This record gives sequence, C-alpha cells and structure tokens, in this order.
Amino acid sequence: MSTNDPEKLEASIHRLLRSIPDRRAPASLEARVLGELSRRAALPWWQKSYAYWPSAVRAAFFVGSALAAALIVSGLFVLVRSSGATALAGGVAERFSWLVLARELFAAANDRLRVLIGAIPSLWIYGAVGTVAVCYATLAAIGAATYRTLTFARQNP
Amino acid sequence: MRKYQDMVFTTSARLVKNDAQAEDISQEVFIKAYEHFEMLSTSPAAGGWLKTVATNLSINHLQRYRNRWRFFSELGGRADSEGEDSPTIEFAAPDTFFEGVDADERRVWVEEALAQLPEHQRVPLVLYHFEDISYDEIASRLGVSLAKVKTDILRARAALAKILSRGGESLEALSH
Repeated sequence: MSTNDPEKLEASIHRLLRSIPDRRAPASLEARVLGELSRRAALPWWQKSYAYWPSAVRAAFFVGSALAAALIVSGLFVLVRSSGATALAGGVAERFSWLVLARELFAAANDRLRVLIGAIPSLWIYGAVGTVAVCYATLAAIGAATYRTLTFARQNP
Repeated sequence: MRKYQDMVFTTSARLVKNDAQAEDISQEVFIKAYEHFEMLSTSPAAGGWLKTVATNLSINHLQRYRNRWRFFSELGGRADSEGEDSPTIEFAAPDTFFEGVDADERRVWVEEALAQLPEHQRVPLVLYHFEDISYDEIASRLGVSLAKVKTDILRARAALAKILSRGGESLEALSH
C-alpha cells in the first residue's frame, strides 16, 4: 500500500509512535541518582549555594556585608574630607609618574607608525587585506566541507 | 522515581540519541525533582513536570552541542535550507508495517529508525509526536523558523516511513 497524502502519513506516524512503549531505564540510574544525592547532602554548607546556608549564617552574612559596605563608604568619605587628602593625591601621582612617560612613548611610536603606513602604497594594503580574506574563506570552506562530509558519512553509513 | 524513570530516560534518549548522555540528563532531572520534592510529592502533575524538565534539559544539551557546530553545518545551507516547498515523496502507509510484530520488537524497530534520522529532523518530529508540542512552540524552542520546522517534520515522517518500509521487507524476508 502506497500513499503520498501528508495528512494520512501524519496520522499513521502519530498512531505508530504513540503506540511505542517506553524504553527501560538503565539499572544503574537509580543508584547514580541516590549516590549523587548522598554526595551533595554530605557537602558542608559552605560548599553549597547561598540558598542552602543555615538561616543564622545567612543573616550574619547579610549583616556583615552591610557593615563592610558601610565601613568602606564612610572610610572613603573621611579620606576625601581629611586635610591629608591633597598630600596623599600628590604622593600617588608622584609614584605613578612613569605612566606619563609611557603615554608619551606610546604617542611617539603611534606617530612613527602612522607615517610608515602612509608611505606604503594603498594597492599593497588592499592586496594584503584581500590575501588574508581569501585565506580565511578557504580555511572556513575546507573546515565546513570536512565537517559536512564527516557528518553525512555518519548519518548515512 | 521507579515509577517515572523509564519515561524520563526514554524522553531524553529519543532526543539526544545517546544512552550515556540520556542517563546523565535523567540523573539531573531526578536531582531537580528531589529539590522540588515538597511540591511534587503531592502533585498529580508530577509526571508532566518530569517530562517537561527532561525535554528542556535534552534540548539545552543539544543546543550547546549545536551552537558549537552551527557555523560549519549551515555554511553550505544544504541540510538546513528554509522555506522549501513541501517534498512529494511516495511512501508506504505505516499502518501495515507491524502486523504480527510484538510491542518490544516494534519499539526496537522504531527507535532504530528514529536514530537514523538526522538531528534536525528527529528532534522536531519527537517533540511534535511524542511530547505534543505545537509547531510554533518547537520553532521557538529550537530557535528556527516555523517553515523550517514544518518542512523538517514533513521530511522526517517521509524518511521514517521509507526506513520502516525497507526494514519491513527485510524482516519479512528474515521470517521466511
């Protein structure tokens, strides 16, 4: 018997698939689940997520975090307001004066590089960009062709 | 757990087509169930909840694998072309495939036929026929277009019918 009526095929396939009994789960599944549950239960609370911490510890952690945040904010506030803040800022700037030198060196190198690139004929640059693009596309095509060939071979042994 | 483990394992195995991965997913499903034990122990919908979680975890597993290879697998566009016309394929009606075949044999036969389908056909077919998920929902869960889901399912049915027809002939030949 042969047909090409998609609705009839849908109904037949549906009936067929729904008539298939479930597979038997591996005998090891139950032991694995129980083993994993035991392993997780045996973990100390500090190795579990916050939701599993004891209530007292959670409350203490919350209070401690709030106190630490308040301490940091008030410390910064006091530091900025204090008379020694300007002197401290000067000291920090002096300690990191090498950053200014590094920035000047970087700017000089950047200028030289721009002059150098400006001297290269634009045709060379376009050629190099084109070559890189062709190499990239070739490698991607080889990779895709290999993957599709292997996948097709696996799906149609 | 014993009541539902076959259903959970079967749901995962049909989607991921790999028994070891299906067992891992089933384990994760039951661990999640344990975390929601209070809610599930009295709920008449516990089976549905487990099936939904098994389906979602299996799809997540496949998505992770698929994302890794999507670029290469879709570069040529041959296997995943969208919006194509419905294929006209002659197939044998599957009602007559299993006359005189017992349920276990039938299950093995169909599972093997399903496993021969490519993933982009098998997964939507399983979701539609086994899990009763609509075309729209399948498209949104798999992140593909509605047209592609419909085409893939249509082709999967035709391919499944063809595979089963071939198997039917060989089984018939073996029984003589």
